[in-house]
Amino acid sequence: MSASSFQALDYLEQLPVQTHRKLYEQPSTVLAIFRCMLPHLAKSIVMALLYMPAPFPAADLDAWFRTDSTQTKRGAMFILEKLHITVQKQDDARTLSYELYPSFASSLRQALEGSGSHRSFGVPSHKSEDKRVSVEFLDSYSQRQWENILFYLVGGTVGFRNAGGQDIGTGTKNLLQMAGFFHHGMITREGFTFVLRDTNAQVWSLLVAYLRNAPQLSMSETDILNFLFMLGSLELGQDYSTATLSATQLQMLEDLAEFGIIYRSHKAASTFYPTRLAVTLTSDAGALSQGAGSATGGGSTQKGFIIIETNYRLYAYTNSLLQIAILSLFTHMRTRFPNLVTGKITRRSIGRAISYGITSAQIIEYLDTHAHPQMQKTKPFLPPTVMDQIRLWEYERERMETTQGYLMREFPSEMMYKEYVQYAKDNGVLVWQNDKLRMFFVDSFEVVMAKVKRDKERTQARTMR
Amino acid sequence: MPPKKRKAEAAEAEVDGQEWSGGELSDADTFKRLENKFSLVGHQKPRHQTDGASGLFQNDQASQPLKPDHASRPMWVVEDGKIILESFSPLFPEAQDFLINIAEPISRVSRMHEYTLTAHSLFAAVSVGHTPDEIINRLEKYSKAVLNSTVVSFIKKSSAAYGKAKIVLKKTLSYIESDDPALLRQLLQDPVISQSLADSSATLITEAAPKFGQMMIPGTKMAAGANQIAQPELAAEEPEEPNKIIAALREDDEEEEEEAKVHSFQIRSETREAVIKQCWEIGYPLTQEYDFNNDQVNANLNIDLKPHAQIRYYQEKALSKMFSNSRARSGVIVLPCGAGKTLVGITAACGVKKSCIVLCNSTMSAIQWRTEFLNWSNINPDDIAVLTSMEKNVFPKSAGVLVTTYHMLAASGKRAHDTAAALKFIQEREWGLLIADEVHIIPAAMFKKVTYSVASHCKLGLTATLLREDDKIGTLNFLVGPKLYEANWQELSQQGHIAKVQCAEVWCRMAPEFYREWLNTTGSNSPKKQLLAVLNPYKFQACQFLIDYHHKRGDKTIVFSDNVYALTKYSIKLGCPQIHGGTSQHERQLVLENFRNNPAIHTIFLSKIGDTSLDLPEATCLIQISSHYGSRRQEAQRLGRILRAKRRNDEGFNAFFYSLVSKDTDEMTYAARRQSFLVDQGYAFKIITRLEGIEDRTDLFFRTLTDRKELLTEVCLAKESDAAEEHIAGDTFSMNLNKRKKGGARRTAGTLADLSGGAGMSYIEYNKTKNKELSKSKGVKNNFIRKLNSSHTNAKKRKAAGQ
Repeated sequence: MSASSFQALDYLEQLPVQTHRKLYEQPSTVLAIFRCMLPHLAKSIVMALLYMPAPFPAADLDAWFRTDSTQTKRGAMFILEKLHITVQKQDDARTLSYELYPSFASSLRQALEGSGSHRSFGVPSHKSEDKRVSVEFLDSYSQRQWENILFYLVGGTVGFRNAGGQDIGTGTKNLLQMAGFFHHGMITREGFTFVLRDTNAQVWSLLVAYLRNAPQLSMSETDILNFLFMLGSLELGQDYSTATLSATQLQMLEDLAEFGIIYRSHKAASTFYPTRLAVTLTSDAGALSQGAGSATGGGSTQKGFIIIETNYRLYAYTNSLLQIAILSLFTHMRTRFPNLVTGKITRRSIGRAISYGITSAQIIEYLDTHAHPQMQKTKPFLPPTVMDQIRLWEYERERMETTQGYLMREFPSEMMYKEYVQYAKDNGVLVWQNDKLRMFFVDSFEVVMAKVKRDKERTQARTMR
Repeated sequence: MPPKKRKAEAAEAEVDGQEWSGGELSDADTFKRLENKFSLVGHQKPRHQTDGASGLFQNDQASQPLKPDHASRPMWVVEDGKIILESFSPLFPEAQDFLINIAEPISRVSRMHEYTLTAHSLFAAVSVGHTPDEIINRLEKYSKAVLNSTVVSFIKKSSAAYGKAKIVLKKTLSYIESDDPALLRQLLQDPVISQSLADSSATLITEAAPKFGQMMIPGTKMAAGANQIAQPELAAEEPEEPNKIIAALREDDEEEEEEAKVHSFQIRSETREAVIKQCWEIGYPLTQEYDFNNDQVNANLNIDLKPHAQIRYYQEKALSKMFSNSRARSGVIVLPCGAGKTLVGITAACGVKKSCIVLCNSTMSAIQWRTEFLNWSNINPDDIAVLTSMEKNVFPKSAGVLVTTYHMLAASGKRAHDTAAALKFIQEREWGLLIADEVHIIPAAMFKKVTYSVASHCKLGLTATLLREDDKIGTLNFLVGPKLYEANWQELSQQGHIAKVQCAEVWCRMAPEFYREWLNTTGSNSPKKQLLAVLNPYKFQACQFLIDYHHKRGDKTIVFSDNVYALTKYSIKLGCPQIHGGTSQHERQLVLENFRNNPAIHTIFLSKIGDTSLDLPEATCLIQISSHYGSRRQEAQRLGRILRAKRRNDEGFNAFFYSLVSKDTDEMTYAARRQSFLVDQGYAFKIITRLEGIEDRTDLFFRTLTDRKELLTEVCLAKESDAAEEHIAGDTFSMNLNKRKKGGARRTAGTLADLSGGAGMSYIEYNKTKNKELSKSKGVKNNFIRKLNSSHTNAKKRKAAGQ
């Protein structure tokens, strides 16, 4: 299970039980969840329960595990229960037992056996071989589309003149804004996290944002999920008919085409092609990192192109504008050749990146994952002094700690000041005090106000009397 | 600038020191103009934008076409002359050997190396025999992309201009020599040059070119067994039959290069300077070479390397560049400290075998040079003399070696009788070789003065760090010669010729009371601010901690502080001996001998007088507590103190270099700047924010607030003059920068007692320095030192008796 599918899992876990039940009616969805969302142990448990005629007593399940592994088992069971895949049962004798949720079990059986309706795994069109577009074309198409999105986020920030070659659609722009990646024409901290991730994780985080946004566009979440999971089981280079798709799914086609996840020859085409981004949705293999790079001729997303030296000079074997844009977020660029860019990491360049909201850890991770094969000969890949320095440059800026709150001052008497300071201290809201100036600072106004109110009432009561 | 000029006028110059300050300005202008003329900047075409990203780059060459087999070629060439080289390419070794000849190394870290093509580096390349076409072809061979036309034309232009004509001293007569007669004729057309001719008929002399590779560098394997092969005498035709020669010349023009010929014309020696300047002006700078084999006027010196002296491969490489063509070429050789610069100098002297003058930057190093000469060569001890403020000797015979300091030669004003006599001796001779040690520190004005007063055929500059913060290093190209060789630090340290060093920058938190005072002190560079940062109690503790730690490991430690007040404070508190500008010569020797031989003395404190040419192979750890602003050179020189560590070839041995920096002060920014040179040589500075175990120590000083407050009071009471950096008289350092900066009067606040000398009247020593202890206790002083001292005094007595 790759890191990228964690986001999808997180999202799935939050869904209500009804959505789960609806989802489990689709064999392709069930297979995808089984294949890439579940940890290995949970898979084994599901397989064991799949063909069991009767609920499986919990005690028997416990017997399968060594006592020192109950923690692992509990984790696996927790996920299964959260996704409502297993159901706990209690019979009359009060013995606890498990069984799979019936529609999940039947869908999975269908998927494995290939029985039942085939529509769930897409309906291939019957075009002849030569009319189809090539895999290379799909790869370059998806890469171009996807990089356009990333470039839209990054380009403007680093001051590229005409940010990005082609513009991206308004729908995508809105989505990026909704996802919190982009705000008032500036990339946000989340946006950087997004850009610096590997492609598969990027795709999922955008899709999760898309799902969250779905109800507002009156699209069915279940349909979207079903479609996405179906995409993961399709074959690259094959085109599929749109005839079986629901209204929501037809609406999705347009958006996904813009992301580069699917390809359609024109807007009204009766078929669509899944691209590499789509078919790797539910697998661990990196989406654009393999195959795609070589297909586009030593292209941008190939792994390992950055060399960084102990004198903070950076050399990147790339000609991709996107990568240059990303590097220039935290590097002072110097020279560009057809296949290499050089620059230097400086205190100022790192400082600028940090002011954008990028963390030193993100920079280091980016450099580490893209370290040139020559760098990978040493362990760690990056020079330790450089890593330390990048971190220190970040800490340097983080010496100020801010607290939102209220300054209390102008106390009429020393006694009253002391009383209030003590009160604030006792309630744990005091942040700072200065006895000389008779003022102090609290992070919660309400607590102090409550006392003010109480005191006022008391004095009022006293005067009344 | 070829500085042999004005040998005849040198005496006059010495009489009137002021003349030079006037003449200097115009020279500086000339330098500047020439540097601009031959820099690449002017050549650049306006940048053309290719896409949105172009604006990010200073140099965008994305449009330069890539060769189809670019993956197997190792380098990129930037329009501005910068070269980036992949060190992991199979072609790397040969490309590196080539680049070091034609370009200046900028950074040689590990995977990517950077060089830059400059007019001077191309000058050096041409002068050791590369042709412009060869340079371009080989660059094209290694380059991944097609070579930029700007670079090609730059190379052509620079190398066409440089090194085509040489100025040669033959039989103490000056000739302009070239293998291109057309060029010489062009020079002869020039009004200034034509007036300087020795022979008004303006004819060219032609002779066979000397063959390459006849020079044996002493100490190499080739030379070790065999006797020095007799140098073939060059057919030194005198211009007695001009017509015949011109006829031969014409023939030569037709039948292209059947035999290599050189052509020359003679100029009057006294016009050398004018000619050299004029050649610059018209764009044909002259190379200087010394045909020492044919010099029958100056007496030979009987000097050879001892059989046990084997020079290393990089020393040989450097020397072979100096001596190719069987002549000695002026220039600068750059080797890291501890890599055997002295031996290179001595070998050069053995090669030339003429009288040799060695200029050092301090008396201490002058003494070291003499010792090294006696160590490595078979020179008769009587033939080598030392001229310093303490010893004023000259050699008795017609040839010999004289070791002296820049300061001795440069100081103006009335000199002591014996000094004046010695100077006269120097000025009246013709020297075969001038060795300028630590050539980087010499300000141009002073160096000129020195070189004018010494008539030398050939100059060899030695340094580890060809760096100056004031950008005056370029003038050395003209004053001494081009850089002939620069060694790769990382390579030498991997091969064990210099020690491996772990570098660290230790960040010390400022003590709050000190920081408050620091913030309240106005003036960004005020001495008080610096003093507060240096005497930061936490820094003191870190220093103490590190000294202890390394003492326990068995290391010997040097602590450097530029600030003498802090130096004294530290050394007294920690009970370690110290040396600074005010320490007497005798005391210095004593402390150094003790550091070398006495196990009880494991740490010494040095001010900046210890930065250069101090040979302490015992030291394996270095701590720097204060430094001269952002001087990259000082940082490298200080690192050099531990590069020659004796134990460097032990398995897993590491020397340690610590730079202690007070956090949030100016020291932080300076530290980064200081390290930039070393970092480009491949040294990595680890930043230590916390010393492991320092909190648990209870024996550190200034642990309590009262102690710290007391220290703060002392610092606050320190006089401005105490806090300021030391100015050392007698060393070349302070001479330069401080003098001419401000013309106006200088006002200092002081008490009347200070002015009248009353402040020093009562002499009570509460805090005794360790130095005093060393000189008093007879027990510490070991036999060796006593013997050394007594033999020294005996020798003096004997000499006195002899005279």
